[in-house]
Amino acid sequence: MSEPLLRATNLVKEFTIRGTGLLGRAARLRAVDDVSLEVRTGETLALVGESGSGKSTTARLIARLIDTTGGAIEFAGREVHALTGKDLHAYRGEVQVVFQDPYSSLNPKHTVERIVTAPLIYQKRPVPGGARAFTRELMERVGLNPDHSARFPAQFSGGQAQRIGIARALAVSPKLIIADEAVSALDVSVQAQVINLLRRLQDEEGFSYLFIAHDLAVVRQIATRVAVMNEGRIVETGDRDQVFGDPQDPYTRKLLAAVPRIRPEWDAARRRNERARRERQEAGA
Amino acid sequence: MSTATRDEQPLLRVRDLTVGFTTAAGETNVVKHLDFDLARGGALGIVGESGSGKSMTSLAVMGLLPKGAKRTGSIELDGTELTTLRERQMQAVRGDRIAMVFQDPLSSLNPYYTVGTQIMEAYRSHRTGVTRRAARKIAIEAMERVHIKDAARRVDHYPHQFSGGMRQRVMIAMTLSMEPDLIIADEPTTALDVTVQAQILDLLAEIRRDTGAGLILITHDLAVVSEVADHIVVMRDGDLVEQGPAERIFCDPQADYTRMLLDAVPRIDDEIGLLRTTSTEETR
Repeated sequence: MSEPLLRATNLVKEFTIRGTGLLGRAARLRAVDDVSLEVRTGETLALVGESGSGKSTTARLIARLIDTTGGAIEFAGREVHALTGKDLHAYRGEVQVVFQDPYSSLNPKHTVERIVTAPLIYQKRPVPGGARAFTRELMERVGLNPDHSARFPAQFSGGQAQRIGIARALAVSPKLIIADEAVSALDVSVQAQVINLLRRLQDEEGFSYLFIAHDLAVVRQIATRVAVMNEGRIVETGDRDQVFGDPQDPYTRKLLAAVPRIRPEWDAARRRNERARRERQEAGA
Repeated sequence: MSTATRDEQPLLRVRDLTVGFTTAAGETNVVKHLDFDLARGGALGIVGESGSGKSMTSLAVMGLLPKGAKRTGSIELDGTELTTLRERQMQAVRGDRIAMVFQDPLSSLNPYYTVGTQIMEAYRSHRTGVTRRAARKIAIEAMERVHIKDAARRVDHYPHQFSGGMRQRVMIAMTLSMEPDLIIADEPTTALDVTVQAQILDLLAEIRRDTGAGLILITHDLAVVSEVADHIVVMRDGDLVEQGPAERIFCDPQADYTRMLLDAVPRIDDEIGLLRTTSTEETR
């Protein structure tokens, strides 16, 4: 098998909690505890877990938004920890993050054009074809009306604002997009459309996703492989269908069993009724 | 009233319920001409996406609409019209007969008082002449009924000493101590982890079974409502899209909107309809 795009080995992240330790001394909280994972080119690795599992902290370590306490991160064969200056700039272009709340991650005072060209300007790279044409093309790719490039984030719905966040990530042609609960805050109909968009863009561009999520049903729709986190550790990793179909770890089994679900026999009946309805319509037409 | 008619009468009957606001842009109705019944001991699910009016509907039933909201139509609880009650009378109804569980238990609990004090005060404000000692006993019993371990000690703890799921149990204990006929739960598990959500949903089912209380569950989550409700109301932009028995809504939805929603719900064991039919136009 080819070298993975990203390889994290024995990652550790400790936070200091002031004054809660013995005699009021600083205590250490180990949020990420010996985590190793790989993301291959063109695949989606979903990192799942409940609140406090360490999944978001792991994502931030990989994006180098925070520093590791221990362990190594290798990206395209280079040690991420050692990157400085120009090389770190380049890394920040190759790895992009899409956050949960589009409104708080988009500058409310900037137009779409300014927002999506910002990563290029930050990297002192030319904007191919000029800012206006570049923005229009990106907006079309993420399913937004290109005539709205001079609008501000507040003028868009939640789903549309998330598409702006995705367009901004795409602007620098990244190799890895870290989606941190990127569809969690969206209404179910909008969520399905954004999942569709994320899948289509990956098919077109061939980049990889590290998809951080608590919703296992969403993960089922998008993941190639799944890593399950609990209390700072990865308890199970495997291909999507293997983890969902034949979970090995007791925690994974507990998590899967707790997911609320629509009865499969109801879904089957609905599909039968839907087919009958279409046939009646075709017969009538 | 004869027993026969009392049995036929629903616990809650809502007719032509409309909730409106006057804004600078004019009148906006956020709930429009809603009709529904909740059978005695039944579980009604009101589902919808954001802006559907589902939460405004529950607040309208409770008489807790924000200032400036205008409510018209009829809301009958056990044959008693609620919309014409004075605020004092409505307060009594809220304490004795209808109880509400919200999404965020932390914001509904006072951080400065122990959970026991809050359960006791809620109870004593609606049951006059109850001693502190008796109320404390009732608080501990209510906490035991929602499976909070070591309730006799935990009763003296503050809200921050409980996890999110345990705080929601405290809220449910508070409503239980009132022995309500109707529990309205507005997204009660949305802020909780999935394993905790499963426990809280089990708990609500257990309470319904044991007390015979009716339940209105307000939620955006169709999988959750499919597990809890026996009758479902689907709302969108303040309109009632369709309603019916849960099995009928899920097996044979009539409205295009309901069909679209059911296609869009991610399934843990299958690809969802909207992903399967790649021809689906992504809306702008």
